[in-house]
Amino acid sequence: MAVAVPKEVVKARENYLTEGGLLSWLVTVDHKRIGVMYGLTSLAFMGLAGFEALAMRIQLAQPNNHFLSADLYNQFFTMHGTTMIFLVIMPLGLGFFGNIAMPLQIGARDVAFPRLNALSYWIFLFGALFMYSSFLFGGLPDAGWFGYANLTERFFTPGSREDFWAIGLLILGISSILGALNFFVTIVNMRAPGMTFMRMPIFVWNILVASVLVLVAFPPLTVGLVFLVMDRFLGTHFYSTVAGATPILWQHLFWLFGHPEVYILALPAFGIISEVIPCFSRKPLFGYAAMAYATALIGFISYGVWGHHMFATGMGPIADAAFALSTMAIAIPTGIKVYSWVATLWRGNFVWTTSFLYALAFVVQFTLGGLTGVMHAQPPIDLQQTGSYFIVAHFHYVLGGGSLFAFLAGLYYWWPKMTGRMMNEKLGRINFWLTCIGFNMTFFPMHFLGLGGMPRRIYTYGAGLHWDFWNMFCTIGAFVMATGILFLLIAMVESLTRGPEAPADPWDGRTLEWSIPSPPPVYNFAEIPHVHSKDAFWEMKYGNNPGHKVPEVAAEHEAGHVPHIHVPAPSMFPILLAAGLALCGIGAVAWLRITLVGLLIVYLAIVGIGFEYPTYGEHPSKERGDDIYPLDSRKVGMWTFIGSESLFFASLIGTYMAYKGRDLIGPTAKEILEIPLTSFSTFVLLMSSLLMVLALAGFERGDIKAGRNWLFATAGLGCIFLGGQAYEFNKFYHEGVTLQHNLFGQTFYTLVGFHGLHVLLGVIWLLTLAFASFKDMVPKKRALAVEFGGLYWHFVDIVWIVIFSLVYLMDKVTGA
Amino acid sequence: MSNNPTASPAEPVHAHEEVPRGTIKAYLEVAGVLTVLTILEIWAFYVPSLQPVLIPILLVLSGAKFALVVMFYMHLKYDHLAYTGIFGPLLALAGFIVIALMILIAYFMGSPPTA
Ligand code: HEM
Ligand SMILES: [Cu+2]
Repeated sequence: MAVAVPKEVVKARENYLTEGGLLSWLVTVDHKRIGVMYGLTSLAFMGLAGFEALAMRIQLAQPNNHFLSADLYNQFFTMHGTTMIFLVIMPLGLGFFGNIAMPLQIGARDVAFPRLNALSYWIFLFGALFMYSSFLFGGLPDAGWFGYANLTERFFTPGSREDFWAIGLLILGISSILGALNFFVTIVNMRAPGMTFMRMPIFVWNILVASVLVLVAFPPLTVGLVFLVMDRFLGTHFYSTVAGATPILWQHLFWLFGHPEVYILALPAFGIISEVIPCFSRKPLFGYAAMAYATALIGFISYGVWGHHMFATGMGPIADAAFALSTMAIAIPTGIKVYSWVATLWRGNFVWTTSFLYALAFVVQFTLGGLTGVMHAQPPIDLQQTGSYFIVAHFHYVLGGGSLFAFLAGLYYWWPKMTGRMMNEKLGRINFWLTCIGFNMTFFPMHFLGLGGMPRRIYTYGAGLHWDFWNMFCTIGAFVMATGILFLLIAMVESLTRGPEAPADPWDGRTLEWSIPSPPPVYNFAEIPHVHSKDAFWEMKYGNNPGHKVPEVAAEHEAGHVPHIHVPAPSMFPILLAAGLALCGIGAVAWLRITLVGLLIVYLAIVGIGFEYPTYGEHPSKERGDDIYPLDSRKVGMWTFIGSESLFFASLIGTYMAYKGRDLIGPTAKEILEIPLTSFSTFVLLMSSLLMVLALAGFERGDIKAGRNWLFATAGLGCIFLGGQAYEFNKFYHEGVTLQHNLFGQTFYTLVGFHGLHVLLGVIWLLTLAFASFKDMVPKKRALAVEFGGLYWHFVDIVWIVIFSLVYLMDKVTGA
Repeated sequence: MSNNPTASPAEPVHAHEEVPRGTIKAYLEVAGVLTVLTILEIWAFYVPSLQPVLIPILLVLSGAKFALVVMFYMHLKYDHLAYTGIFGPLLALAGFIVIALMILIAYFMGSPPTA
């Protein structure tokens, strides 16, 4: 290898991997460990999804085959897609790479909320196990990873399979949102001093935008799933035409999530490639600023293209044209990225590592997938291609040949940093070539099959359609690829058992993670670095003079004193809370009382987390020795959470408005809503916001008693509001407007009910604070805890301001 | 490694800066305005001649209430601009979702076939 490798290997005194026993992993809050757990879990699920894929390929190898039954085939293709997307690519990109690389690249000691990070992981694990456990109860989900309505309705898919799917995705969604919120706050607030946004490594840019996309994409999915669960459990008709609703609503909510989701899967991959290519071309990234803006632009546009998955539903010419244009527009920033990579490669001084090979293959394969994407961005062409194997080829090129290949590049790249061991390059080559050849053998011919008319989602086909040869060919390719992946496992085991120890900076890297030992000490950075340029570590090593390396910057920490750094203490609450949440899910499909137990555990664990640290409410960062960040991370987190919640309510309100006037039978809003009563409760809720600020002012003054009394008063007004709502619901029920009665009933109760649920949670939150203040647990210095409760309370209030005018006042006049 | 932080543009502002918040008086005034705006909303609702323009009136009035709570009770007016920078765009997207669903379903799809 042409890389200058420092002679002596720098080893951390406190290696994060070996500290403490096996049990300590259950309570760990260290981002590096959490990253490793994400990685291992995703790898296991990749094995499972790979197994499902091979079984499907065997079934399709020949016409009229009977290897899998139609039923089993449906289960396998559904869970293959669901697994790859939710349990493999997404957790690898964000959970694994985000955790092992991002905090190190920004020079932080951990993420903003270490316990929340652990919580995200455990919820992810339990959610995944929950979904797969359905195979013990009558089979795996079988309505596709996209779960199209109305196939998913109880009438068409009886049994509990789809219940596991919907509730499992709801649980996984919570994990994703919490994880993304954590990364967002970390990147916004915890970059090393001097690291401006335009000096951030491009990988961090991509994680930032992907996190934002999770925060904005999952709320619509959550709402879509809530409707589905209500349809299946409570007999509503959000997705069936019998009450005037339309199954197309599901497609809108799902793809409103689904297309940003594909960029959630792709952006971390773009980021990895943007680190690997410069490193092994021995050149800085071409067009850093263009790359950063393109990343942000992709994120933005990807929220407005979802309709391209729905051309075949007949949205009409205007919508078709709008979505076609926006979809083609997104190819522009994507193209900028491809040009940047190619220009970086141009005249590079290549180092032919396995990581680099994977990156090169990524650029070619991803571009191919992008090009077919632009093809079916045009509605008339899409009508030919949609639902065919051409689409299967497209998304496997962008996801498999794209994201997965990038992740393999990233794995080889960061493995030495993560484990402290080098990988064997020979095994790496075998792994790469088999995987690459196998991949292209499997998926390239699918373009032909698709154009030749082979539909996707079929379990078998007749002979004589000219599909036989390429199907057999694809199947052989799949086994070649699987063999390749087997060599990855061999290479990993070999490295862990016999691999040479890794130096701190094996690739002569450019970013901060290479400035600390491999594997990193528990606290990452003995001293938080100060950054003066992009490619911060490169600048430290070479200054302005590439010829002269400043000797052994990496060894610096080794020579220094043992730093006194408080790392966040381990906590058992994350895993407890996640278990409680899983119990809620189990209860929903089994026995509702279990849900109550689950909720109780969730509540206690949240309180546990809230009051676990005696410093809560002060700056915990002070203790960690990095009291240097511009904002209070928790407040950034709170606002981000509120923003994401707004999108949740927007999806509910949007549905209410979209379904308005579609009722087949009355009574609807116009006939039934009562303005005087609601005006009164509106006033009550508004005044509760006033009392809430008075409570906060009390705590901030140190007048705990006054603060507490105002808190009780606020919660009291909240209860009056809830009482009014209960009265109203009860009255409507007696007038015949039940949840199932008509569209108005179901959308109204759902929207207003979810708001009421938030009020209830707010009341519990405020009462918890008030009672805690009796025990002196909310002193003046912890007034911030009250401020967060208050922010949430006011949020519930502003949502009501919207509902009151949109649902109550406007509905009485319009729609007639 | 240089430890001279003043050289860098991203140097954080003081982490513990006490932001001046609204006074109790300001909070009470806001509550008064909120009450008046709500009364106006309900009044507009009951005045028959205002029916044709009721929707814009309600949008403006409730928008004003929304903004008042966010700015004063949720302190965005006093706090670091970053919080507004986070909440603002997400709120805009929320509006986008509502409008998009209304256009795509209520407007483009027309009413359902009646039974
Ligand atoms: C230039 C960029 C891209 C364009 C123009 C594009 C366009 C499209 C279009 C129009 C469809 C709908 C095809 C149909 O079902 O009829 C589609 C499907 C799909 N795309 Fe892309 N795409 C692009 C990039 C990506 C990326 C980066 C990913 C993921 C990493 C991705 C993943 C998918 C998936 C998973 C589907 C199929 C969804 C399903 O029906 O199950 N695409 N793409
Ligand atoms: Cu798409």
